[in-house]
Amino acid sequence: MTGRVREDSTPAVGNGQLRSVQALLLPLFSRYGIRLLLGFVSLAGVDLLQLLIPRFLKTAVDSLSAGTASQHSLAGISTLIVAAAVAAALLRFCWRYLIIGFSRLVERDVRNRIYAHVLKMDRPFFEKHTTGDIMAHVSNDLAAVQMACGLGLVSAVDAVVMTSAAIGFMLYINIPLTLLALLPMPLLAVSTMILTGRLHNRFNLVQEQFSLLTEFVRSALVSIRLLKAYTMEGLQRNEFEKLGRQYVRSNIRVAVIQGLLAPLATLVGNLGMLMVLYFGGRFAIQGTISLGDFVAVVTYLAMLVWPMMAIGWVISLTQRGLTSLKRIHNLVTTAPVLQDLPETETPVPAVPSFRLDHLTFTYSQAAHPALRDISLELAPGVYGITGRTGCGKSTLAKLLVRLYPVPDRTLFMNGRDVNTMSLDEVRSRIAYVGQDAVLFSETIAANIAYGLPEATPAQMEAAARAASIHEEILALPQGYETVIGERGVTLSGGQRQRLALARALISNRPVLIVDDALAALDVETEHQVLRAMRTSGRRQLILIVSQRIKLLSETDEIIILEQGEVADRGQHQDLLARSAFYRSMHAKQAREGARSAPGNAEVLGQ
Amino acid sequence: MHNFGYDEEGWTGSLAEHRIWQRILRYSASHVPGLSLAVLLSLLVTVGTLALPRLMQIGIDRHLMATDLPAATRLDGLALVTIGYALAVAAVFLAGFLQVVVLERVGQSIMHAMRGDLFARLLELDLAFFNKNPVGRLVTRLTNDIQNMYEMFTSVMVTLFNDFLKMAGILVLLFLMNFRLAMLMVLFVPLSLYITIVFSRLARTQFRAIRRQLARLNSFLQESISGLSIIQLFARQTDSLRRFRALSEGYFAQTMGQIRLFGIFMPLTEFMSSLAIALIVWYGGGEVIRKELTLGELVAFLSYMRLFFQPMRELSQKYSIVQSAMASAERIFDLLDTRAEICSPEVPVIPEVVRGAIVFDRVGFSYGPGQQILRDINLTVSPGETVAVVGATGAGKSTLFNLLIRFHDPQQGRILLDGVDLRQYTVQDLRTIVGVVMQDVFILPDTLLANIVLETGVSRVRVEEIINRTGMAAFVAGLPAGLDTRIGEGNLELSGGEKQLLAFARVLCRDPAVLLLDEATASVDTITENILEQTVAASFRNRTSLVIAHRLSTVRRADRIVVMEGGRIREEGTHGQLMEKGGIYHNLVLLDLQAAGNDQDGD
Repeated sequence: MTGRVREDSTPAVGNGQLRSVQALLLPLFSRYGIRLLLGFVSLAGVDLLQLLIPRFLKTAVDSLSAGTASQHSLAGISTLIVAAAVAAALLRFCWRYLIIGFSRLVERDVRNRIYAHVLKMDRPFFEKHTTGDIMAHVSNDLAAVQMACGLGLVSAVDAVVMTSAAIGFMLYINIPLTLLALLPMPLLAVSTMILTGRLHNRFNLVQEQFSLLTEFVRSALVSIRLLKAYTMEGLQRNEFEKLGRQYVRSNIRVAVIQGLLAPLATLVGNLGMLMVLYFGGRFAIQGTISLGDFVAVVTYLAMLVWPMMAIGWVISLTQRGLTSLKRIHNLVTTAPVLQDLPETETPVPAVPSFRLDHLTFTYSQAAHPALRDISLELAPGVYGITGRTGCGKSTLAKLLVRLYPVPDRTLFMNGRDVNTMSLDEVRSRIAYVGQDAVLFSETIAANIAYGLPEATPAQMEAAARAASIHEEILALPQGYETVIGERGVTLSGGQRQRLALARALISNRPVLIVDDALAALDVETEHQVLRAMRTSGRRQLILIVSQRIKLLSETDEIIILEQGEVADRGQHQDLLARSAFYRSMHAKQAREGARSAPGNAEVLGQ
Repeated sequence: MHNFGYDEEGWTGSLAEHRIWQRILRYSASHVPGLSLAVLLSLLVTVGTLALPRLMQIGIDRHLMATDLPAATRLDGLALVTIGYALAVAAVFLAGFLQVVVLERVGQSIMHAMRGDLFARLLELDLAFFNKNPVGRLVTRLTNDIQNMYEMFTSVMVTLFNDFLKMAGILVLLFLMNFRLAMLMVLFVPLSLYITIVFSRLARTQFRAIRRQLARLNSFLQESISGLSIIQLFARQTDSLRRFRALSEGYFAQTMGQIRLFGIFMPLTEFMSSLAIALIVWYGGGEVIRKELTLGELVAFLSYMRLFFQPMRELSQKYSIVQSAMASAERIFDLLDTRAEICSPEVPVIPEVVRGAIVFDRVGFSYGPGQQILRDINLTVSPGETVAVVGATGAGKSTLFNLLIRFHDPQQGRILLDGVDLRQYTVQDLRTIVGVVMQDVFILPDTLLANIVLETGVSRVRVEEIINRTGMAAFVAGLPAGLDTRIGEGNLELSGGEKQLLAFARVLCRDPAVLLLDEATASVDTITENILEQTVAASFRNRTSLVIAHRLSTVRRADRIVVMEGGRIREEGTHGQLMEKGGIYHNLVLLDLQAAGNDQDGD
């Protein structure tokens, strides 16, 4: 009977969910098959032992009622109960260890799989999936899957075994009484299902309002100095009060349903008892069943209440688990757009070079190409790339290091189409410093050595000096061993950029691409860094994306991009004479000093 | 901002903190009726729950077993008992439902009050506090910590009371039925409590270890994702995966530890309840044989024992909820007790006519030891004068402003406004007299007008007048619905220059005697730039003005230029005087113009 209820109420399992179970879970179920099997055997054992105890009780009560009981026979029954209890305790430990342990194994394996997949993904992927998304997959979705595979699985199996066994025993004792006792049970299943649906919606609302509240506080606190400067504290307090009230109201709406749900199982259990008391009582008085039978039915019925409650819970747990699993499956089956090829052994040419042949590139979400029909030859030397915001200069830098896919036969490195080379083959020859200096929460030394894992302290120091950061590192509490980031010292934007530069410099790769990464440096430091870049290592091709005339004027050639096209190229003096854009940029910077450089926004520079 | 629970490790909840309980109770004080109702309802649930086995026992003993009575009488009696049973069932259900709703209302209201107090306190605290405490952690106070408290209020406080009541009630009933058997059962109480407490301690330690490991795992993951390009460009995927797996394995090991712990404890409590049943059968059965106990009483004993163990089983869970709530309460009250170092004096000076004369008198300031930002600043600004402050980043210009609006107080010297130390005004008054236009504004998701007026109650006409007078009309006219344009998240986004215009309008509505301007450095388009220039000019008129200047036009407009370097004022004078002097200012200008090349002579 309850089995049927379960079947009817199982939500339609979508195709995608089935596929995700097949792809992600089935291999794990078979890998840990023996563990699971043993776990379920233990679980079934526990259930059987639990059902035995009422049998013992029945024997005792019947013998007492018939007056045949002796202290000796009672002691025997007690011993049996204790023995069953000991065995049950041992088996309980086993199933917990085996089945819940299985869910943790699943969690671990799926998590590692997600991470291994994420490591392969490219930039287009991360434009669609934010860090927050992926974190949510790895924490919430994984937790939902783990719950479903652990407690969910246990409860499902347990509920089925317990219900069928208890009902079986009851039927064995007396069929009509059993049916009467179970009469209220479907009520529980149906109302639980209806209420759970409602609860879900209302609960979502609560969650939404909770995030609103949290976001409100966060944005207020982040901008606390603005709030104070414009004396907006009172307004914020009122607004917060309003949001808080809404949140309280939604919570109470949830509580109304929860308030119904929680006592419902007890109600149904008690109604069953009521039936047993009345009808069972009548049967006993009429002599249809013995008093011991009556007591045993009462005990079995009490055992049924929990599985009945569990069914609603298991269904929603499974549902959530499957939805999460599908999301995870989607994540780990998304292929990177940027196809990698196996490494091929090619001789390293002495002279690095790039050739762009009618290269046009459009971001996946964009309507217009970011780069149009670019043809360029980049031989060894120092190049500056400039242009207005959004002209495509950063895009160009990113394409060169293969962060985005390019069409075939449009980008050549050392004469070979990059699409015929493995990603590492291209990347291992380029040291790239991006706009935002990404560092890891490790020591400074480890961060620099990221560019060259086998680097010696002397090499690190040299790189740090070249990036004009050595002195500042020494001034830190533990020097090169200072931990930075979330759990360590916080570095300024400029320090982070120079550290990222040191990391790139130490890698000693033949090509260096610096994408507007020197913006947070002052002019003097910028000079030093550029000098160091020119002289350090065997680097032969340097590409600097910048808006700063001063820096550009020191390159061998400047390329000006405009709306994704090469508008002009040449040396500083030539461009001054020839390019209206370059001239106006020059004039503007002359007027405003370093104003264009955020973070160094002084009227008169330095 | 995720903090992944890193920062909460130092706090442990102690149950015996009088002070904290007192304060929690103070919050509950206004909800005495609701709480009493909840307790009453839970009493009703308890009584009902306890009555059920008793009714069952009566049914068995008086009617089922009464074989000497005629069947009809026994059936009638049974029907009567059944009606009683039905009533009790209904009462338990209704009271249970009402109790949940009432408790939720009370719990939510208390949390709402706490949240409000906490938020108000946070808004009062000074910037030094915010520099020390990351926003993520403060948000956690208002979210997780409050949530912990709420859980204690709703799922523990009343039920705990209820549970104790229930257990006491059961014990009384047991003693009434059979003293010796009851004594035997009582032995289980200290044993259960002992096991529960030991387990709770172990579980908490384990839980923390898990959280720590998960925090490590998650922050590694988050960092890797945001730095993925770097990992890929430096071909460190294998290394990164290896480290992730190690962290994942560490987390797995901790969770397995938890499973073992629960695997031992949970069966142990079950075992104890089976042991109790065995004892009842053995000893209680003997008592039945000796006619010291009826069979019905024996059955009731068995039922009561089950009821008795139920709260015992949940005790450890509740114990840990209370514990974590106490730790949260400690953190919450700690924050509520934090007093702003910068606060209004007991007896403030109430300004009547404000002239706007500012004097920095030997002012020194540092954010911490070895970080001296300002040294021996002496500066007098006459009413109505415009002073431009220039210097490199870190020269101390912004700090000068921060001191003037009392974001911080100077450690050495004093700042006077109209001859009175700033610290003698109320903070609110001071920030109304001294208006500051920052580079950024806090925008409410509302109309432009509402964002300008805020809480001042200035009329629309007056706002329009100010806008026209300061040349901002062109800016407002350029917006789709003028003053009624909705701005902020999800609506029209303002550019950097436009934000500064909004800041101007906001501040000018309050007609401050002193105006501080931190000029926008963000790129500003030509139209906005022109409007800004007019606004700046109009705003400086008849007002003491200090400006951190980023435009030469602004510097030129100033009556006086103050050049800062290394936290000191190094030069003072007009543009002409300073250029003539050939000092820092002169060099700065030359350096900058040199960079500009030879074909331009700079402005």
